[in-house]
Amino acid sequence: MLSIKHLRKQFGSVKALDDVSFDVPDNQITGLIGQNGSGKSTTFHSILNFLKYDGEIRWNGQPIKEADFDSIGYLPEERSLMPKLTIEQQIIYLARLKSKPAKEIRPQIDGWLEKFAVKGKKTDKIKDLSKGNQQKVQLIVTLIHHPRLIILDEPFSGLDPVNADLLKKAILEARDQGAAIIFSSHDMANVEAVCDRLVMLRTGDVVLNGTISEVRDQFGKSEIYVTTDWTEDQLKQLPHVIKVQNIRGNRFLLQIDDPSKGPEVFEKLTDGKYIEEFSQQPPTLDEIFRMKAGIQHE
Amino acid sequence: MNKTLIVAMETYLGQVKSWSFIMLVLSPFILLAISLGIGYTSATSSSDQQRIAVVSEQPALRQRFIKANRDDVKASVTSAAAAQKSVDNNNLSGYLVLSADKAKVTGVYHSSDSLSGGMKVKINAFLAQTQQQLNLANAQLSSKQVKSLAVQPAFQEKIKASHGGANLAKIISFWVLVFMIYMVLITYSSVTAQEIASEKGTKVMEIIFSSTKASKYFVGKILGVFGVILTQIVVYIVGGYGFFQIAMHLDNIKQLITDNQSLVNGVIKNMLGINLLFVFLGVIIYTIISAFSGALVAKAEDAPKAAQPAIYLSMIAFFLTMPFQSNSDALISRILSYVPFFSSYFMPMRIINDNASGMEIGLSLLILVASIGLLTWYIGQIYEGLILQTDDTSFWKRLRRGLSYQK
Repeated sequence: MLSIKHLRKQFGSVKALDDVSFDVPDNQITGLIGQNGSGKSTTFHSILNFLKYDGEIRWNGQPIKEADFDSIGYLPEERSLMPKLTIEQQIIYLARLKSKPAKEIRPQIDGWLEKFAVKGKKTDKIKDLSKGNQQKVQLIVTLIHHPRLIILDEPFSGLDPVNADLLKKAILEARDQGAAIIFSSHDMANVEAVCDRLVMLRTGDVVLNGTISEVRDQFGKSEIYVTTDWTEDQLKQLPHVIKVQNIRGNRFLLQIDDPSKGPEVFEKLTDGKYIEEFSQQPPTLDEIFRMKAGIQHE
Repeated sequence: MNKTLIVAMETYLGQVKSWSFIMLVLSPFILLAISLGIGYTSATSSSDQQRIAVVSEQPALRQRFIKANRDDVKASVTSAAAAQKSVDNNNLSGYLVLSADKAKVTGVYHSSDSLSGGMKVKINAFLAQTQQQLNLANAQLSSKQVKSLAVQPAFQEKIKASHGGANLAKIISFWVLVFMIYMVLITYSSVTAQEIASEKGTKVMEIIFSSTKASKYFVGKILGVFGVILTQIVVYIVGGYGFFQIAMHLDNIKQLITDNQSLVNGVIKNMLGINLLFVFLGVIIYTIISAFSGALVAKAEDAPKAAQPAIYLSMIAFFLTMPFQSNSDALISRILSYVPFFSSYFMPMRIINDNASGMEIGLSLLILVASIGLLTWYIGQIYEGLILQTDDTSFWKRLRRGLSYQK
């Protein structure tokens, strides 16, 4: 388990991280979310010892030392590899730096290229690959040595839905093999689909921390999705409804002032008759993100 | 394998497998081969035109001349008619008709041009020697008289060791050495600085630094470049020796080298040994400083100008040696022969001029090696900060930010 306690980092007069504490347990995927400049990359750089920081970062109870580097898989935010090398040379070189001998890695390369549907031969130069394929090779490099701690900075950025699914599958597979995984993302749908836990940073502070359901439930089930013949104006007249949003056709999202009043709204709306959809839910992660980031809900 | 060595191997193989390195190493040999080839071809193609034929009714006399002047005679032409035809066709310079009776040896040269001075001397020497033998035979001298007539005058040359060839050897050694250091430095300063600068701020460096310590990576990188430099020096030494052996088969060059044997030996002696070590260590310390300046560029795109600080420093050292070439014992020269970055130029200069003691050489080497060690250690410590930060600000701000990145 990765444990971060009271992490602080200041660049000149700018406070990048302020008393950040959270855990990344084994066998779980933790999503680190936050706006640009909220401190996500600084957190990753601190874990990787690229920076000197105040506070405590421990891996399995011990400070992270050079010997632990071999069990870390790191995917940086922007993609970059060594353009003059072939796919095979690149994978082997970086795997050897993780103390994996070439003879152990070489036979696995074809399998990984197939798994990520990389278009090209392993003898192709990195510079000759498309951007998407370079990204996949970088993911292979991050995972091929079977790390116990996986740090992924914006792993889904630039991936189309098909490739994003391949990545999700690989992340879930690594989790099932016992790895502790932390990744940052702006795409809340991906976070919700993959993560067990969530940490949100805002200007260096932790504003959310817990499992996905814990985080969502903190906000109460203040949203009701309904599919009905009622008009928007009629819905606005319902008790406790403070906002009505037409999603599509006759599907609406109602916001209520008190989650406990859901049954009352249901009674009024259905009047004991059939209704196609009535679903009371907490806000989505996307809405929570916008709320917490201080951006007005559209 | 140790991660430092993995980085060193990767750097080394990446460099030596590149076309630029192959061309860098091979170009002097290609140029040498071309010039030797041209020399050889022109020598062989023009040789017939410069040679003469020898015709004689006395085969023994003709054979003796050919044996004494093999390179100058086209032996396949045996008759005056054939020789005249070759001369007319411009395939021969001329032909010599030799004849001898009991009292006199005669040589008549036929050509449209006058004889070259060298050839005339050779023909005269042959005729004089043959005539002498004939005279001795005709005089019917006793063996004692023959012996006494055979006594030759004695001529000896005594040249003091510190003058002449030895001085010339020093001057040649000095220029060859400083140019060698300068050229190797310029090449590897650029190669190293660009190699490091091209990695500046790239995310692959973050992946690498999440696998090994930046200091180990830096040392590996430098070791890789040392390997490349060493490879080039070894190729030059082995290739140079090979070319020397080939050149020794060419009569003109063999003659030139034999005539200047002591000069050649002096230059080779000055080039090898401790001076070569100074060259190698000099290149290393400049390589390290180039790597440092490479790490200080604002971004990877600025790689081409990354080597400038190291190149300027080596230019200063290079031009500073000029005034001291014939005055290497001057105080400034003595001081600079201990100062890293300058000692690689100044100490070999003092060694060539025989004014540095073993202790002084040892001390200079020790300072140089210690500086290399300290510099490598220090840059290794700050390397991560220098490489990972990518502020596009002024040089000094970048340096300060890089130094404080880890604080």
